[in-house]
Amino acid sequence: MGKFLLLAFRNVFRNRRRTIMTLIMVGGGVAGLLLVGGFFARMFWGLRESTINDGLGHIQIFTAEHFNREEKHVLDTGIDNWRQVAATIQAGRHVRGIAPRIEFNGMLSNGVKSGVFMGSAVDPVAENSLGFTPRLESGRDLDSKSGGEIEALIGAGVARSMNVKPGDGLTLLAVTSDGALNGIDVQVVGVVNTGFKEMDDRYLRITLPSAQRLLQSDRVTNLVVGLDRTENTDMVAAELTPSLRGQPQQLVLKKWIDLAAYYKQVRSLFSTIFVFLGVIVFFMVLMSSVNTLLMTMFERTREIGTMLAMGTPRAWIMSLFILEAIVLGVLGAIVGVAGGNLIGFLLNHAGIHLPPQSLWPSTFSTSPA
Amino acid sequence: MNEIVSVEAVTRRFPLNHDRTKNLVSALSEASLHVEAGEFLAIAGPSGSGKTTLLNLIGCIDQPTSGRILIEGVDTSTLSPARMSVLRREKIGFVFQTFNLIPVFTAAENVEYPLLIQGIDSRVRRERVAQALEEVGLSARANHRPDLLSGGERQRVAVARAIVHRPALVLADEPTANLDTHNATQLIDLMHGLNRRLGLTFIFSTHDARLLEHTERIVRLCDGEIQSDTQVQSNTLNEGGIRGQVLASSLS
Repeated sequence: MGKFLLLAFRNVFRNRRRTIMTLIMVGGGVAGLLLVGGFFARMFWGLRESTINDGLGHIQIFTAEHFNREEKHVLDTGIDNWRQVAATIQAGRHVRGIAPRIEFNGMLSNGVKSGVFMGSAVDPVAENSLGFTPRLESGRDLDSKSGGEIEALIGAGVARSMNVKPGDGLTLLAVTSDGALNGIDVQVVGVVNTGFKEMDDRYLRITLPSAQRLLQSDRVTNLVVGLDRTENTDMVAAELTPSLRGQPQQLVLKKWIDLAAYYKQVRSLFSTIFVFLGVIVFFMVLMSSVNTLLMTMFERTREIGTMLAMGTPRAWIMSLFILEAIVLGVLGAIVGVAGGNLIGFLLNHAGIHLPPQSLWPSTFSTSPA
Repeated sequence: MNEIVSVEAVTRRFPLNHDRTKNLVSALSEASLHVEAGEFLAIAGPSGSGKTTLLNLIGCIDQPTSGRILIEGVDTSTLSPARMSVLRREKIGFVFQTFNLIPVFTAAENVEYPLLIQGIDSRVRRERVAQALEEVGLSARANHRPDLLSGGERQRVAVARAIVHRPALVLADEPTANLDTHNATQLIDLMHGLNRRLGLTFIFSTHDARLLEHTERIVRLCDGEIQSDTQVQSNTLNEGGIRGQVLASSLS
């Protein structure tokens, strides 16, 4: 077997120029797949971090009822003792911060015209500490310490529709937790462009105390938990789950991947593209290798005939060619892995990021693993 | 003496076109030949006379259209391709006109090849290879690849490869056709010496007068038929003797 392996190895290098061309072809395919794989991995990583840092967080806590039924009244499926729950979670390992939120909706009016909004109420300090910053088109973010007017951020579509700009006033109307209609006046401090028109046409954000005053409730819809690293999500989720069982309300924990529908769709799409590319490259490399092997077979008919004449079993001859194909494939893979890593190293050191970092608008709060 | 080869009324026809039943040309007709162990036998004849066909049939590389061939009493027509392969591997050594060495193997590795495919232990292989290379006078060139050897040296390596596994029969198809006079003479002496010293049976095809000078038996083929089968005595080794006549007729 050793001699046959030696024979296969020497045969591979019998025509060096052709072998080098084949190795470049095989290696190029492997290197290409490595680079595309790296490109996609980096893109997935960027999209993941962007999704998390856009406000999704690593983990969200809800009441079980939130998923079991529709709200009869505003916040009747919300978390009651959220401060205690937050304190429990905050004590856990790898937890960077917790941001309570209220999701609500209602009507807004500029006195002349009215429309509907989908509002969220946040604690600006908690949001900022987790790196969740709104994409402001104009104006500024909410200020939790502001003692005067109730501040609001609105979407670019709302601003256009209501014909308001930072500094102008709006009136919000919403149904309270006990079914009454309540209203507050707010001052627009900033206009947000989320990148999604449908969202910008309904977007409104106010501070948590303002919303609780409007909705006449101390509850929150959910708690958003930010971790030090995305990779710790599963571990922290496993650790938090038992501690949530001791709460008066039945709480459930959702990991970011459970809530990131867009991320999952994009990942699925690009994974399919990658497999498709892989199959194409595989067949190109395969055909190239088969061509080389067939050429070597046809060139060596006399040699094969001699070996058969001397009594070499046909299976040995087949094994020899398979062995040559394996040697060529392994060498090609080594060339490809080395070449792919070298190109990747050079690209990274040249400061060329694929995909460009500017593609991901939010600030990354974590670094890739 | 033991009969090594028995060719009994063997005919071989080849189709001239894709329809394998029509337009058959006869390369060998009703040929019969018996070879004893230790013979040094030449098959002489002009090009196209059927020399290579007969050697291929004796070497179990080809199968006759009719008739049968026995190697050491075994009827080769009854053997499966796998058994034929085993028979070639163990009983027959081949020397080809164009040497047919494996170019990426050294001389020693080429000689080792028949032992390798027989699954012989590496220590025994080394000993036998060294011995075979010594027999052909190429011990010093053992680690040279064929492209670094002269034509004569390559053919001697081929002879060493043919005898290394001590076959019952060595078949050589025009072994001197690609050699100059000096190398051809050396090769003939070498083969004849091996025949005498080791008692190996040699059957070779040739129309080389130099090779016929050393043979004890000459089978003359013409148009696929055996024209003559002549035992040559040593006292007839002269230009006007039987060799000269056979040679003259074989080249005509």
